[in-house]
Amino acid sequence: MGGAGARRLAGCGAQRVTLLGLGEAVWTKQARSVAMFSEQAAQRTHTLLSPPSANNATFARVPVATYTNSSQPFRLGERSFSRQYAHIYATRLIQMRPFLENRAQQHWGSGVGVKKLCELQPGEKCCVVGTLFKAMPLQPSILREISEEHNLLPQPPRSKYIHPDDELVLEDELQRIKLKGTIDVSKLVTGTVLAVFGSVRDDGKFLVEDHCFADLAPQKPTPPLDTDRFVLLVSGLGLGGGGGESLLGTQLLVDVVTGQLGDEGEQCSAAHVSRVILAGNLLSHSTQSRDSINKAKYLTKKTQAASVEAVKMLDEILLQLSASVPVDVMPGEFDPTNYTLPQQPLHPCMFPLATAYSTLQLVTNPYQATIDGVRFLGTSGQNVSDIFRYSSMEDHLEILEWTLRVRHISPTAPDTLGCYPFYKTDPFIFPECPHVYFCGNTPSFGSKIIQGPEDQRVLLVTVPDFSATQTACLVNLRSLACQPISFSGFGAEDDDLGGVGLGP
Amino acid sequence: MADQLYLENIDEFVTDQNKIVTYKWLSYTLGVHVNQAKQMLYDYVERKRKENSGAQLHVTYLVSGSLIQNGHSCHKVAVVREDKLEAVKSKLAVTASIHVYSIQKAMLKDSGPLFNTDYDILKSNLQNCSKFSAIQCAAAVPRSPAESSSSSKKFEQSHLHMSSETQANNELTTNGHGPPASKQVSQQPKGIMGMFASKAAAKTQETNKEAKIEAKEVTNASSAGNKAPGKGNMMSNFFGKAAMNKLKVNLDSEQAVKEEKIVEQPTVSVTEPKLATPAGLKKSNKKAEPVKVLQKEKKRGKRVALSDDETKETENMKKKRRRIKLPESDSSEDEVFPDSPGAYEAESPSPPPPPSPPLEPVPKTEPEPPSVKSSSGENKRKRKRILKSKTYVDEEGCIVTEKVYESESCTDSEEELKMKTSSVHRPPAMTVKKEPKEERKGPKKGTAALGKANRQVSITGFFQRK
Repeated sequence: MGGAGARRLAGCGAQRVTLLGLGEAVWTKQARSVAMFSEQAAQRTHTLLSPPSANNATFARVPVATYTNSSQPFRLGERSFSRQYAHIYATRLIQMRPFLENRAQQHWGSGVGVKKLCELQPGEKCCVVGTLFKAMPLQPSILREISEEHNLLPQPPRSKYIHPDDELVLEDELQRIKLKGTIDVSKLVTGTVLAVFGSVRDDGKFLVEDHCFADLAPQKPTPPLDTDRFVLLVSGLGLGGGGGESLLGTQLLVDVVTGQLGDEGEQCSAAHVSRVILAGNLLSHSTQSRDSINKAKYLTKKTQAASVEAVKMLDEILLQLSASVPVDVMPGEFDPTNYTLPQQPLHPCMFPLATAYSTLQLVTNPYQATIDGVRFLGTSGQNVSDIFRYSSMEDHLEILEWTLRVRHISPTAPDTLGCYPFYKTDPFIFPECPHVYFCGNTPSFGSKIIQGPEDQRVLLVTVPDFSATQTACLVNLRSLACQPISFSGFGAEDDDLGGVGLGP
Repeated sequence: MADQLYLENIDEFVTDQNKIVTYKWLSYTLGVHVNQAKQMLYDYVERKRKENSGAQLHVTYLVSGSLIQNGHSCHKVAVVREDKLEAVKSKLAVTASIHVYSIQKAMLKDSGPLFNTDYDILKSNLQNCSKFSAIQCAAAVPRSPAESSSSSKKFEQSHLHMSSETQANNELTTNGHGPPASKQVSQQPKGIMGMFASKAAAKTQETNKEAKIEAKEVTNASSAGNKAPGKGNMMSNFFGKAAMNKLKVNLDSEQAVKEEKIVEQPTVSVTEPKLATPAGLKKSNKKAEPVKVLQKEKKRGKRVALSDDETKETENMKKKRRRIKLPESDSSEDEVFPDSPGAYEAESPSPPPPPSPPLEPVPKTEPEPPSVKSSSGENKRKRKRILKSKTYVDEEGCIVTEKVYESESCTDSEEELKMKTSSVHRPPAMTVKKEPKEERKGPKKGTAALGKANRQVSITGFFQRK
């Protein structure tokens, strides 16, 4: 068959101008400008619904041209927890102050006076830079819970802890002051560093007329790529959760990426996936059950932790993946690593089969790397979901954008999100703007391209929880577009197909 | 035709054995490319249906393509039953691929059994899971064991980098490879053992001294067997009762093992004297017998000197198992722990900390590491505190043996000096063993005496007293 013969082991991306096909469209370079994975995959020469042919094409995976892992700031060496958290706030303010003063001058004129709180004069308009603190009555406070004089029962967990009575307080190095005025109290969260413009009133509160954030950091331009390369983002595999449906989906995902599934066109496109990033929650929440603590000893004596089996399954999946594509594994909320941010990489001893391949990389959460010139930065979602709890913002994509505009990955750490007590630098401040910024384990897929004030262009991706949605994301590095890819099997009822939009 | 054999095979699997034949299962079973397996299945279905239209065959297909959902084009990959195939195809805007997924005799209610079939065949072929795949990755080569163990060391090093930074022993610069390699060696056992014991930090001082000696060897070594001793030590940890004691002896023995393993040394002559001195050190360290048993195969012809010592050590091993280890004095809690390992080097010459809330640990601990350094300044390496048994005659004329911690350095001359200075209060009649060999005989006798005193009374002792 001529079609099969046209493919060479060098990869089908080499000659792309003409295509031998059964009446398929001829794809020229112009037409390929918005080439999504599906369109590429549809370029098949012959269907596999045919008798066996002598030669079967094998495609070579696109090699990663350049890759650098820049997550060094998130690696922790020897840890000491005998420090106070005040240091991280102090260094955060010191690092962010110059950015905010610049923005303040851009917004309100270069003559605006940036004052410290101790220098404020009543009635004088000026700009103050400081850290926000939101006093929330509903925020769970361990002190209140254990205090006997209140006789309080522990609060049940809620999805959001905001309340109309929340108040904002601005703190700088020495003082704090309550904020009033045109500032959205419900949207902002503790730990954000911002600049407010207004004046202090006689009652001692600061009347805000305007405020601004540090906005996007400077961004380096991406080098142009000549072929389409994809990076697959998956999160929330949720192994060990007991749900059989997601297991088939996971297997289908692995099969697509490793080139077992699909026609030749799809396999050729899959060969263009140069990297896979697993963004956290590889294990399911149910593997975290603490039966051994709650149940009686005689019931749990010989039981194994649920995570043991789940990790074995994960090892097999990682083996299949790393035998075919470079994989970066980030830990998440339910994975066996430390709880505080930044989470350290999973230990390679847990993956005896998969660590045999050098393509497997165990990385931190948050993770940043430069893949083929495109700078990726992402987390497993704890930062976004924590802000979700304490802010009125509903859309995870909106929160993701907001963290980029505030120039801090997780402002609520260490207030409501566990964080290591840094004291020299705050590694969660964006030193430069990434090209792709993602967060994992969101309820649904979302992607958006945003522009910054200095012509920065960022692709925001919220990677959905795979165990619930069976959806992963394919990011095209050349065009910075993202396409979701979802998998399904079939079930007893037809609704299963309907769930992913394929029902009758 | 030979080609038609596969048709018979599939026929047998489906009708006779009533199996669910998925493309993946067929590919592994017949050893063919996955695409060929898919085509074989299709061919079989077509032929079977042609010859016997009432054939009881149920087929599932894989359909993939894109469809517009929620404003973006979503790529769908779905396994569908034959009866739903057309419906699904019509929904897709662009159909990327369709092929046969599986054939089975019975109608499947859900896709669970498909997954099970694939999973089973995959489990039995894990090592070559991408052999029949359509994509081959040049970068995915299994690591050689040497690489993997060195990378695991690097992992430990970056993790536990800081523990030895602030310790006294890092002033060494004689070795160009000094700090990183020493950390590598000390951290690898620490990393593996550190999972079992909480006082691993206490040992870094000792292990660092030994680690330095081996720094050169370790960096040059292609230690194929490094993983084995590591594993052996983990295993022995499960067997040992007093984890603390075992850890110490395991650490030491592991490093002795590493020493022995390094054969491909171009500069053997240079390292030979170095090795002799650590051998001297090691002799005074007690090695646990179980660990030694696991590592018996490590004898090398070159290390004749070492092998002599080893035999002596095996004698002492039984006696020295029960040793009360006094924890090393931990470094002060207020030490400066850098947040990120990389940041530390950059920051050490950096300007003072920010003027906001005073960072109390910084000024206090700055003098501390240097002072520790200076005390051992003259004695640049191989200072250890080891447990020694001191036998002496007291006032009543009884021979008393005591176990005491003493600092001992590598060279014998200094050793005597230090022993004398640290144990001034002992009566002069104490027997100081200068030669390492004799030393061990002494403590051996001493511990034998002590051993009797401390040994637990066994339950059968009750009967023997009659």
